[in-house]
Amino acid sequence: MDSRKSGSSRIRQSRLSGMSRRTFIKIAALAGAAVAATRIFGRPVLGSAVYSPEPPGGEGIITEKWVPTSCLNCATRCATRVRVVNGRAVKVTGNPLSKVSEGENCARAHVGLQVLYDPARITTPLKRTNPAKGRGIDPGWTEISWEQALNEVSGKLKALREKAQPERLLLFSGLNTVSAEDILRRFADVYGTPNLISSDGLNNEADKAGEWMADGHYTQSAYDLEHTNYILSFGASILESYKPLARGLRMWGKIRRERPIRAKVVVIDPRYSVTALRSDQWVPINPGTDGALALAIAHVIISEGLYDADFIKNWTHGFDEYRKLALDYYAPDTVSAITGIPPDTIRNLAREFATTKPAIAWRGRGATSWPNGSYTGYAIFCLNGLVGSIDIPGGVTYQENPPYHPMPDPAEDDISAAGKSRPALDLRKTGSFPAAEVVTNQVADSILEKKPYPVEIALGFNSNFNMSAPGAGRWDEALGRVPYYVHAAPFISEMAEYADIFLPSTTFMEEWAYDHSPPGSGFAEVRIKQPVVEPLYNTMSVCDIIIRLGLGLAGVVAEDSIGIGGTAERFVRYRTETLMSWEELKEKGVWVGPAYEYYKYDRIFKTPSGKFEFRSGNLESLLKEQGEEINSLTGLPYYRNAEFMGDSGDYPLLLSTYQPLLNIENGSQNYPWAQEMFLVMHGAGWTNFAEINSKTAQNLKIKDGDTVWVESPFNKIKAKARVFEGIHPGVVSIASGQGHRAYGEWARGIGVNPNEIIGVDYDRLSGQSACFNTRVRVYRA
Amino acid sequence: MARWGMVIDLGKCTGCQSCSVACKAENNVPHGSPEEHENRQAPFWHKVISVSSGEYPTVKTDLIPMPCMHCDDAPCVTVCPAQATYRREDGIVIQDFRRCIGCKYCIVACPYGARSFNYKEPDDEDYHRPDPPPERADRGIWPFPHRVHGVVEKCTFCFHRIDKAVKEGKKVGEEVLPACAEACPAHAISFGDLDDPESRVALLLASRQWLRLREEMGTSPKVFYLPG
Repeated sequence: MDSRKSGSSRIRQSRLSGMSRRTFIKIAALAGAAVAATRIFGRPVLGSAVYSPEPPGGEGIITEKWVPTSCLNCATRCATRVRVVNGRAVKVTGNPLSKVSEGENCARAHVGLQVLYDPARITTPLKRTNPAKGRGIDPGWTEISWEQALNEVSGKLKALREKAQPERLLLFSGLNTVSAEDILRRFADVYGTPNLISSDGLNNEADKAGEWMADGHYTQSAYDLEHTNYILSFGASILESYKPLARGLRMWGKIRRERPIRAKVVVIDPRYSVTALRSDQWVPINPGTDGALALAIAHVIISEGLYDADFIKNWTHGFDEYRKLALDYYAPDTVSAITGIPPDTIRNLAREFATTKPAIAWRGRGATSWPNGSYTGYAIFCLNGLVGSIDIPGGVTYQENPPYHPMPDPAEDDISAAGKSRPALDLRKTGSFPAAEVVTNQVADSILEKKPYPVEIALGFNSNFNMSAPGAGRWDEALGRVPYYVHAAPFISEMAEYADIFLPSTTFMEEWAYDHSPPGSGFAEVRIKQPVVEPLYNTMSVCDIIIRLGLGLAGVVAEDSIGIGGTAERFVRYRTETLMSWEELKEKGVWVGPAYEYYKYDRIFKTPSGKFEFRSGNLESLLKEQGEEINSLTGLPYYRNAEFMGDSGDYPLLLSTYQPLLNIENGSQNYPWAQEMFLVMHGAGWTNFAEINSKTAQNLKIKDGDTVWVESPFNKIKAKARVFEGIHPGVVSIASGQGHRAYGEWARGIGVNPNEIIGVDYDRLSGQSACFNTRVRVYRA
Repeated sequence: MARWGMVIDLGKCTGCQSCSVACKAENNVPHGSPEEHENRQAPFWHKVISVSSGEYPTVKTDLIPMPCMHCDDAPCVTVCPAQATYRREDGIVIQDFRRCIGCKYCIVACPYGARSFNYKEPDDEDYHRPDPPPERADRGIWPFPHRVHGVVEKCTFCFHRIDKAVKEGKKVGEEVLPACAEACPAHAISFGDLDDPESRVALLLASRQWLRLREEMGTSPKVFYLPG
C-alpha cells in the first residue's frame, strides 16, 4: 500500500536528516562531557513554549477540513465529525449539533479510522473460480470489473424473475445504514421476494414482542434516561452494548453526577458486567428467571399498595387478572427459590422501584434471549405500567420517526405481488413463530431442508451469520448449498467466503447515506453520511450496488431504481429534502426534530382497549386468528420455567455470552485499537476467555490461564480460562466478537466464537434466537 | 504560571475506553500485537485498568482511567541519568526522546506503570499500521512527528494543545482539553489549573472527597480521582 510505504520512508528520512540517539551518544562520548550535548541541542528542546518554526520532516498541512458525517460501527450510528488532513482522515470526534448523544461518541467511533484504512479491505470485485464451498476451502478469487460483476448478478436475478420465482431470491442484511435498509426493503418488494432477512432475529426481537403485548408497539423501548431517578436493569448492558450506546454513556454521567438527585441503578445479571460494576447494586440471578423476579416485584408492589392507582384506573386494561396472577403465584419466598435472590432483597427492590419516581424497568437481551423471552419481556415491561412510568419524563417514551420524504409508490407487477405473497423462508407469522417479523436463525435450516421452497440466489449485504448466529456451523452448510451467492461488504467475512461473486462496498466514511438511532431519545434525529475521503479503492456503496443491480434488471425493478433517484446521493437527497436544504444538511450533518411530547395517553396505545394492557389483547387476537387455543393464562405475563438444552448431569454449567463495547458491530474485528483494549474488565486484549467462578474452577481443578475445553451437546471449543469472582457459579461466560477465521491478520485466529457451540432454540412468539440456555461442561485440555 | 492537573470522576466513568482510544489517535501511539500485549510491551500513554477485590457475590471491581500522573515529585525525573525526563514549570512531566538513552530506569521507578518503552523498529511493518498523522494545525504542532525506536514514551497531558491554547488566550479546561478528556462521553474527565480556585478542577476538588493513587509514595500526583 502506498501510504504504508510513504510512512516508513518518512521515518527513514528523519533518521538520516535528524540526529539519531546513537549519534548523540557518540558525540557526547567524543566530547567527553554532557555540556557539549547541551550546546548542540540548545535544550530544552521539547515541551518548551517555543516550537521550532518549521514543521519537521516536511509534513506541513496543505489541506485540512472537518467533515460532518456519522459512524456505523454499531446501530447507534452516532453523528461524528472527521478531520481530514491532506486527503487522509486522521481523527473522529462527536458532532456537537447531535442531541441524541449530546455531541459525544463512544470508543467505537474512533476505531472508524481503522475501518477505513483496514489493510484487509477488498479493493475490487472478485469472482470465485473454485466451485467447491466449505469451511477452510480457498474460493480461488479472481479479480473482475464492476461491469462484469453487476451484469452477471443482474443476469441471474433477471432469469429467476422471468421464471416467475422471485421468492427464491434470499436477501441478507447485516449492519447497514438506514438508507441502505430502506432501499433493500424496497428492492425486495419490487422484485417480489418476502425473504429479506436482517440480523434482528439474533438481537432484540423478544424485547420488541414484550412491549407489543402491552402497548402494541413492536419495538425496543425508548427510556427517558436523562430524567429518570431509578433504573432496574434486567440483563441490559447499558454501558457496553445497549443502543443508542453513546446516549447511554453521556446520560450516565448526567444522571449520576450532574444534577442534584443522583439516579440509583440496580443491575440484575448473572454476570458482573461493566454496567453492574458502575451501578449501585449488583444482584446476581439464576439465569433465565428474570420473568419470575419481575412478577415477584409486582407481587410486593401490589400487595403493599405501592402502584400508581390513577394510571391503572384510567389507562390500563386487565389489571385485576394481572393482580391475581402476581398475588397468587409469585410471592417473594416462592420466587426466591427460583431466582436465587433472597426474599428481602426482592422486597427492597420492589419498594425502591415503586417509591423512587420516576423509575424505569429496563429489559435487555440477557433476560429475554430465551425461550419464552417475549413473556419475560412483557413481565418486565408491565412493571413500568404498574408504577405509571409510561410516557412520562423519566419513564418509557415512544420514539418518534424522522419525517423523511416519503418514497414514490413502488413500481410493481404481477410477479412482484405473487412472489411477495408466498410464505417466507423464516416461517414468520406462522404457527412456528406467530408474532415474528424476522426469524434470522431459522433460515439456515429452511435452506437446508428446501422448505417451503428451495433458494436459487442469495445476496448478503454486510451480513455474517456464519459467525453471529447460534449454531454457526449450520450456516456454513446452508451457504454451501445455495446455488448462487453474492456478498457485498468492505471485507471478506466468514460468510463472504461462500460467495460466487464478491462486491466490495465502501466503508461508511466514503459513501452517501442517511441514518438514525434505534429508540432511545424520544425525539427524532437524522444524520447524513457523506464521503470524508474519496473512496480509497474500486468500491461502491451498498445503496449504489442495490440501485445498479435494479437498473440491470429492466422492467419494473429498473423503473423503480430510477424512480428512487438512480444513485445513492440523489436518493439520500430526495429522502432528506423535507428536513432541511441539501447544502445545510451537508454542512451541519444533523437534523434534530422537535422536543418530545409526553403524556400522549389518548393516542399512544395500539391495543384493542386503547389502553396499556396487563392482559394482552393483541396477543390473544393474533393467536386466535392463527387457530391456536387460548386459555386464561395466555394473555398474561406469566413465568414459565426456564428451558435448557443439554442434560444437567452431563453438562452441569450454563454457557452465557456478552458483547464488550469494543466488539465492533460491523462484523469484523480487524482493528488493533479495539483488539488491544478488548476486555476492560479483565485488563486483557487480543483474546477472549471462558470466564468461570472461582469456586466452580476450584471444583473442576481449573486454574486461571489454563486451556480448557468448553463442550456443549453440539460442539466444543478450546478457550483460555479466566477465574473470575464476577460470575454466577453455575455459569461460564464468553465474550462475543472473537474467533474469526476470515478477515485480516488482526482478527483471524484470535480467541473463540461461542456461537460454534450454542444450540439452536427460539422464543416461539417472536422468533428471537435463544442465546443463553445451552448447557456445557468445562474441563482442562 | 498555571499548574495543570486532571480530575477523573469514577462516579461518572463508564469504562468505555474512549479516552484510551482517543489518546492513541491523537498522539499516534502505535498499537501493540498479541505477543507484545502478552509480554506487557504494548505501548499505551493512557490505559483503563481494572482493580478487583472481594469474592462472589460481593465482588468489587473498579475501572480506573490512567494517564501519566504528572507528579510534582516525580520519581522518574529523579532517576533519569540523561535528564531526558523533566518537569516543566507548569507541572507537566515531559519525556525528551532525543535525550533518552533507553535505560528504562524511569519505567522501574514509576509507581503507576505510566511509561512505555518503544520496542518497535520503524521499518518493521508487521503489526505496524500506517498510523494517521496526529493533529497539529488547530491543536498546536505535535512535537513527535515520528516514532522513535528504543526510547521511553509517555502521556504529555497533550501539552501541544495546551501550549497552543495558552498562546492564543483560550481557556484551558473549558475550550481546550487533552484528547482523553475531550473524548469522554460521560464528561468524567476534567482538566485545568489546580492553582486557580475558580477552575473546574479546583471547584470539583473543593466540593467532593478525592483521592490520589499511591499517595504513600510521596509523589504528589496531579491526577485526582473522585470515588464512585
